[in-house]
Amino acid sequence: MDSITSSPLFGIVLCILTFELGVWLNKKLKTPICNPLLIAIALIIAVLQIFKIPLENFMVGGDIISLFLAPATAVLALSIYSQLAVLKKHFLPVLCGCLAGSVVSILSAGGLCIAFGLDDALTAAMIPKSVTTPIAMEISKQHGGLVAVTVAAVIFTGILGAILSPLLIRIFHIDHPVAQGVGIGTSSHAVGTTKAVELGEIQGAMSGISIGVSGIITVLLSLFVPL
Amino acid sequence: MKIIVQIGVILGICLAGEGISLLLPIPFPGSVIAMILLFLLLLSGLLRPDHIRQKSDFLLQNMAFFFIPAGVGIIEHIETLLPVLLPLLFICLVTTILTFAASAFTAKLVIHLQEKAASTNKEVE
Repeated sequence: MDSITSSPLFGIVLCILTFELGVWLNKKLKTPICNPLLIAIALIIAVLQIFKIPLENFMVGGDIISLFLAPATAVLALSIYSQLAVLKKHFLPVLCGCLAGSVVSILSAGGLCIAFGLDDALTAAMIPKSVTTPIAMEISKQHGGLVAVTVAAVIFTGILGAILSPLLIRIFHIDHPVAQGVGIGTSSHAVGTTKAVELGEIQGAMSGISIGVSGIITVLLSLFVPL
Repeated sequence: MKIIVQIGVILGICLAGEGISLLLPIPFPGSVIAMILLFLLLLSGLLRPDHIRQKSDFLLQNMAFFFIPAGVGIIEHIETLLPVLLPLLFICLVTTILTFAASAFTAKLVIHLQEKAASTNKEVE
């Protein structure tokens, strides 16, 4: 049993199986709580626990998948580029909205972590929680945060954004589609963007752009975080 | 372009990003530098979207998949996390609402100011 699970193929096949199951469930149930990534992570943890498979064995294949994180981040450039016309048209609102959102996100996450007396590794993991996973992971890593906690916080934030955004739009009277998209993309990255796309084409495009813009802004701002 | 060449282009840009990241005096993620490099290459026209389309679509459409192993790594920290789980969930909720409000309000305000400036310009004319 140990010899087969220590093959790199074990981790890769397990990831594909659980993720595809997650995608299928997500399509069937149509609720943001059934996030394919969340389902895959939960199922794999369950499998490893039930069959007493060491995490190291899974990571032999897992590390190969993680290798794709950098290229997946880089090609976000293409998705920003394909929205260039929309970005030019609404450049100032997008830039200012992303800047304000990123500042508030970093300060509120950092401030609340300190208020709850959490240690530096957890605080560093929580600070980049509003931006897209690959960027958040890098920021967390460079500030000595627990990267896995960052991934979980980012996914949870995205799910919250997808569920809450229609409600928040009403509570805060955000009547402009551009402002709605900027709010969703900045606060809850790609998972929230799935909701923005449902709200409308402009919301979806603006939310998509805000993922990249607030990601870069957060990288720059985090240089000044004293951790 | 052939898939293998597209993979080569994207991985080459990522490698350049890692290299620049090592040279910089500040901690700036190599993957984000690669993203900026790729964006500049597209803007300058040196690289066209169709040069990297298939490989990019593969990466973008399956983005979530690549985070699975990083997320599974959370079981290593479960003992650290359990006692602080509630505060962490609470922080996620509060910061998401605050971040949404700040960014959406600011964007709305800027749009409003721009529209106002545009209408006063018209009146002056």
